[in-house]
Amino acid sequence: MAASQAIAGPSRPIPARLNPPPAPSTSGDSESTAAQPVEKGLEVGVLKELAREALIESLNDIQGAKTLILDPALAGPLGLITEITLLKHQAVDKLFWLEPGPLSVSTRNVVWLCRPKLSHMRTIAEQIRSQQSSPAAAGPLVYTILLVPRATELCRKVLEDEGVAGDINISEFRMEFVPLEEDLLSMEMEDVARDIFLNGDDTPIFYSSLALMTFQRAFGLFPRILGKGDGARKLSDLLQRHYTAGDAQYAELETSDQVDSLIILDRSVDWVTPMCTQLTYEGMLDEYVGIRNGHIEVDPALLETDKSPAPTPGSTLPPAQPTKKRKHHLSGQKDKLLADIRDLNFAIVGSRLSKLARRLEGDYGGVKNLKSVSEMKQFVGKISGLQSEQQNLRLHTGLTEQLMAITKTDEFDRSLEAQQNIVAGYDTTAQLVTIDDLLSRQIPWASVLRIAVLLSLTNGGIKPKPLEAFKRDFLQVYGYHHLPLLVSLESLNLLVKSPTSAPHPFPALRKSLRLVVDDIDDAAPNDISYVYSGYAPLSVRLVQCVTQKNTILSTAASVGDINEERDGRGRKTLPRAHPILGWRGFEDVLASIPGPTVDVRQKVSAGRHDINGIDSTTTVVFFLGGCTYTEIAALRWMSKQTKGRRFLIATTGIINGTTLLESFGDKPPVALHT
Amino acid sequence: MAVPPIPTSTWDTLENVFYRKEEVYTMSWDISDLSDYLIAAAKNGGAIAMMRDERKVMLLGKHSSGRPKIYVYTSSGVLITTLTWDLSPPILLHFTSEGLLVLSDEGTYRLYDLSDPRSFNQYTFGSEVNEQGLVSAKGYEDGLVVLTGSLQFMEVRGWKGGRASPMASSGLSEPPHSWALVPPDQSASGHIEILVSTGSTVITLDALERIDQRVSRGPFSHILLSPNGHFLALITATGLLWVVSADFGRNYSEVDISGFGGDHEGEGGGVPENAQWCGDNAVVLGWAGRVVVVSPHGETLEYTYFPSAFLVGELDGLRIISTTNCEFLQKVPDPTLAVFKPGSSHPAAILYDALDHFDKKSPKADESIRSIRADLPSAVDTCIEAAGRETEVYYQRRLLKAAQFGRAFMDLFNPTDFVSMGQTLKVLNAVRYFEIGIPITYEQYMASSPSFLISQLVSRNHHLLALRVSQHLGLRPDPVLKHWASAKIARARGQDATEDEVICGAIVDKFEKEGEKGVSYAEIAKKSFELGRIKLATMLLDHEPRAAQQVPLLLQMKEVKIALTKAIDSGDTDLVYHVLLHLRSSMSPGDFFHLLDDSISPNLSPAVRLLQVYARQGDRQLLRDFYYQDDRRTESACLEMEEAGSESDPDKRVEHLRQAAKYFGESKDRIFESKMTDDAHRLLSLELSLEREMDHKFQFTGLSVNDLISRLLVEGLSKRAERVRADWKVSDKRWWWIKIKALAQNKDWDGLEVFAKSKKSPIGYEPFVTHLLSLTPPQPTHAVSFVPRCDPKNRTDLYVRCGEWGKAAESAKERGDRAKLEQLRRSAPNGIAQREVDEVVKRMTK
Repeated sequence: MAASQAIAGPSRPIPARLNPPPAPSTSGDSESTAAQPVEKGLEVGVLKELAREALIESLNDIQGAKTLILDPALAGPLGLITEITLLKHQAVDKLFWLEPGPLSVSTRNVVWLCRPKLSHMRTIAEQIRSQQSSPAAAGPLVYTILLVPRATELCRKVLEDEGVAGDINISEFRMEFVPLEEDLLSMEMEDVARDIFLNGDDTPIFYSSLALMTFQRAFGLFPRILGKGDGARKLSDLLQRHYTAGDAQYAELETSDQVDSLIILDRSVDWVTPMCTQLTYEGMLDEYVGIRNGHIEVDPALLETDKSPAPTPGSTLPPAQPTKKRKHHLSGQKDKLLADIRDLNFAIVGSRLSKLARRLEGDYGGVKNLKSVSEMKQFVGKISGLQSEQQNLRLHTGLTEQLMAITKTDEFDRSLEAQQNIVAGYDTTAQLVTIDDLLSRQIPWASVLRIAVLLSLTNGGIKPKPLEAFKRDFLQVYGYHHLPLLVSLESLNLLVKSPTSAPHPFPALRKSLRLVVDDIDDAAPNDISYVYSGYAPLSVRLVQCVTQKNTILSTAASVGDINEERDGRGRKTLPRAHPILGWRGFEDVLASIPGPTVDVRQKVSAGRHDINGIDSTTTVVFFLGGCTYTEIAALRWMSKQTKGRRFLIATTGIINGTTLLESFGDKPPVALHT
Repeated sequence: MAVPPIPTSTWDTLENVFYRKEEVYTMSWDISDLSDYLIAAAKNGGAIAMMRDERKVMLLGKHSSGRPKIYVYTSSGVLITTLTWDLSPPILLHFTSEGLLVLSDEGTYRLYDLSDPRSFNQYTFGSEVNEQGLVSAKGYEDGLVVLTGSLQFMEVRGWKGGRASPMASSGLSEPPHSWALVPPDQSASGHIEILVSTGSTVITLDALERIDQRVSRGPFSHILLSPNGHFLALITATGLLWVVSADFGRNYSEVDISGFGGDHEGEGGGVPENAQWCGDNAVVLGWAGRVVVVSPHGETLEYTYFPSAFLVGELDGLRIISTTNCEFLQKVPDPTLAVFKPGSSHPAAILYDALDHFDKKSPKADESIRSIRADLPSAVDTCIEAAGRETEVYYQRRLLKAAQFGRAFMDLFNPTDFVSMGQTLKVLNAVRYFEIGIPITYEQYMASSPSFLISQLVSRNHHLLALRVSQHLGLRPDPVLKHWASAKIARARGQDATEDEVICGAIVDKFEKEGEKGVSYAEIAKKSFELGRIKLATMLLDHEPRAAQQVPLLLQMKEVKIALTKAIDSGDTDLVYHVLLHLRSSMSPGDFFHLLDDSISPNLSPAVRLLQVYARQGDRQLLRDFYYQDDRRTESACLEMEEAGSESDPDKRVEHLRQAAKYFGESKDRIFESKMTDDAHRLLSLELSLEREMDHKFQFTGLSVNDLISRLLVEGLSKRAERVRADWKVSDKRWWWIKIKALAQNKDWDGLEVFAKSKKSPIGYEPFVTHLLSLTPPQPTHAVSFVPRCDPKNRTDLYVRCGEWGKAAESAKERGDRAKLEQLRRSAPNGIAQREVDEVVKRMTK
């Protein structure tokens, strides 16, 4: 591949470093290049500050040196709020992972920072008891639990039952939205879809409501709340209740002049989208390499090698798993190249990278043509920028190569073909054969199952006979421990016999929302369907029902405009975003999708909220139950299509089809002792 | 109106500093000697609590029978309430922001609500402290510290009965001479600290460590921290007043006070009985009725009260309470000094003067204003500030008028300060009125907060005034209304239904008229319930908009089903858990399940689901019972499956699987699942027996059917693999794939060849090629031998993937596909491949 050659063996030697290398960092740290988008969104950084201060305050309230015991599930999210090593300033002496087994504590205070999980409480109780049976030399220890985001009755109860409630101070650390990017807020909660839709545990909805209330305290009351689905309805009701019930902290909320609405999408409204293989660069990374809490694990060789490793979080923590891979923070703010390519269809990422490689080569080549000292000076000034750019290029080229190898396999081809045929509704029987074929090849179980679920969802179930055959073979190939998962999928209506009594609106929606777009140009997209090379995510189409009504009805008439705009020549002005008019025009479509439709106005503001009166407004799209990187990409793309409206994406967490299916099943069985 | 005496009439100088002592009230009580009492006074002009000091009573022989009483008075000596004390003698009376704390010497304390002397919360320091007893105790704004009989300091934070936590070990062997408490907001560490005089030194204690300050002038009879927390005043037994910085780093002053206490005949004296800071500027010492203000260089002001006086240190001065008067002593505030100091040339003084001239229609007014034109803004500000420091309404008005007058000559003026001072003074004058009796100063008011003042007012049942003050200041009226309603219920006498309705009506009326949303009916309902007015409680609860607030009371009232419904409605799952756990511990399992039967009450199903979530993690047996009772066979079976997965003992896992198959089998919709679980059970048993058969040379357990076949093939046990294949009816396609992979894994290329020829492949031959190429390392030389057996139209590409460009070109040529050939020529890498393709192309064109 051209790009990789440009890096591995540049034709001209790279000049020796003239500057000291930039400070070690695991994340590409070019702050230069790529201009900021003209229209500024909300300053969501304030939410991060709030969270950080709350954490520091919670820790400072505990006097003296502390041993901090951290829930591994929180390490990632916390790392996004503050550098965990910085906690030393709050007198944190030692950091350990929360796991069963005795403690070794040399400080007076022991602080556990964890999710309110019962198993954690039992571990903690066990640790306290063992500590008390062999008292430390330092005298009696002071125990504190900081629960994230709330201290729950359940936890108190377990601690009481375990007989340690009297010895421990229970407190909470309200971590709500973590800004992953300027336009992306995540609560970084895991398995939310399972809790809400499978187990009927609405705790995440309640937490979401608290997070959105905090958001409204920062940016004002959402003038209008729209949404679809049972969970969306519950969440919207909760938001209104918090506001109207007269809780003092929400009493003074004024209608926002920066945000025009909140659109809540309940994951159960659209299971189809996450089942499809994501085809954007970042989506592919998530599918095939895995992104957790904005971090990716990569071969250290892809990151700069001549710098001492600074693994996150905190070098005092023993590694959670003994892997040589290094964690790298994928941040569009620090890595402009990533910001540039993350949302592109993967098909064109390669050529984008080689273009950059050639440019860099040219820039470095420039050293030969320097004529004067001032030119030289200028060049030297550019070098550190070039170096970090080059470093980013190396990383993304390496990752692209990895992904490219996957996309070249037969299995990938056939899976993708099957998915696209299924979504388009072509020849169901043939797709069953493909599924059987993939099963025979024993490709990863989730990949096969995603296609089967997709078929069931779009087709109103699968005929009993082939379905039973599929399940039988699936269990034989991948193990019988998946049986509860299959039962769960049935109860969620994700994998069912046809004909099913449950409504299956997909075939009708395919037309009415133009979900399948045949003539999509991945390189110069004129529709959000580019993120799946021809399938427009249903969830995001629903957002368009509210915010970009005309784009659904016809193939975007503005294709030409967009291209011209991209070329930067004869720059035509973008069309203005139309004001929020609710679901108008799509009432019937919405009615055909199961679950209630939400449209409420929160407080009538004096002057009618008029988008034309304000330079730019933000529409918040909240995914209850998680969203995929493709959905994020599609919304970002939409932000660029009109003037006057940005989308701010908020979610309970970031998911993909595989993590979703995994969460619906039991944990893999433990090894047997024979 | 007679003009009150000019402000300076109360001034005195002490070392060139002006002090003023103003009489605030003439006490309306009838008490002959304060020294008979144990006294505590609240800061910021707050109330005074007194209790006869038992020891002195004995001494004086004025024995009074019955239980001791605690009298609470306003600063003007008006009785607020009387409390009866029936525990062991108190060692601490301390005012919190909400009420009065009384601590007994056995470590039990009560927090009294002054508005309702019958209601109090009682807490204790535990049995250990109870035995040892307490030596002494001190309180501050948010908690208290006690010294136990075993000479250990313990701290309690907050007024909610929090756990007492020990401070670092004091190392004392005998009770200290004295000790002082440094509140968290004034200590360097941000946590509470204790200063203890022991031996000749002072030690500092906090929760973690004990530091010896290494002073050698002790013992000290008093350790006093100045209001701003910067200075310490220490008094030695030999009569030395010593002022140092709070960290003992700097010496500020040393005064010999041994002679100050004596009367004219030189009687008495010695160590003062009482000592306080007066603001941050001077220390005041008291010997019975004799009060001496000591300046840093030892100058003094002396006052005498008969027979005794009680000193209350305030932020900005000192309250002196005697049997007849309440007085306030302070250093004259700067703005006041600027205006009224004799001979002051401050612009504010000139402005104030100019107003006088103006009133007298004297031209000097204009002259004066001209002379301070440039300084007018500061003159106006100072006059406004000075108005705040006056207690006489006449001078307040006069000063504000002067400010207003000066303002007229200014181009720009921001009236905010002027308006808010007027507003504040209105409030201060109202509460200083002797019937209310809160002599709070402007400084104290600013430092405490309006809501503090309001809570003082409601705790004395001045609800109307409190409400008006809230409204006047634009504060939320809820706290006042809440308190009012509770008090109203508490005082209601009648017990009949009409009375309930009248009260409820009055409360709702008032809330809707005066309150905005946000007044909590639930709290008032709770109060009502506690007072035994259950009917009224229910009526009030109905008005509560927040479900979450209703739940705890409903549980208390045993309205469990309504409580559960309300909890579900609130959307707060934690609240649902709260109810569920409460029910679980208070009901029999049968009743519990019956209540949750969602076929009877479908609206409870969210709670039922939450119960399952909880039980899955926390109470498996409960879950099993529940599923069994509720005939949920599928769930029972899945639970068995999950437990099978977490079971590492193979025999137990087999048992779980058998059980799961049984449960599935009991449901007619789960025949397929039952069959599958049965298969799972059969497979594991087979794997176990295979392992035994092979003397545990291999591990088969836990493998899927596919993986088992594969493993058997890899280990060369193909007969057994065949049998498994037959038993599980594995399709040909799958069998071929498994076998190709297994043979390739064993690098059995011959076997692969034989297998390929054994019969026609159901999956074609491409898998042979692609799989061999996908190995690490790839096996193109072996792969290529299968290409001729593949579909002709794919051969070219397959050859290319094997790196056989010549053969690729040949196959394209055979199919006469020129376009393909051309493409090959372009894409072939340099060297041999290129030549091979070229050759074929050449032959073709021939």
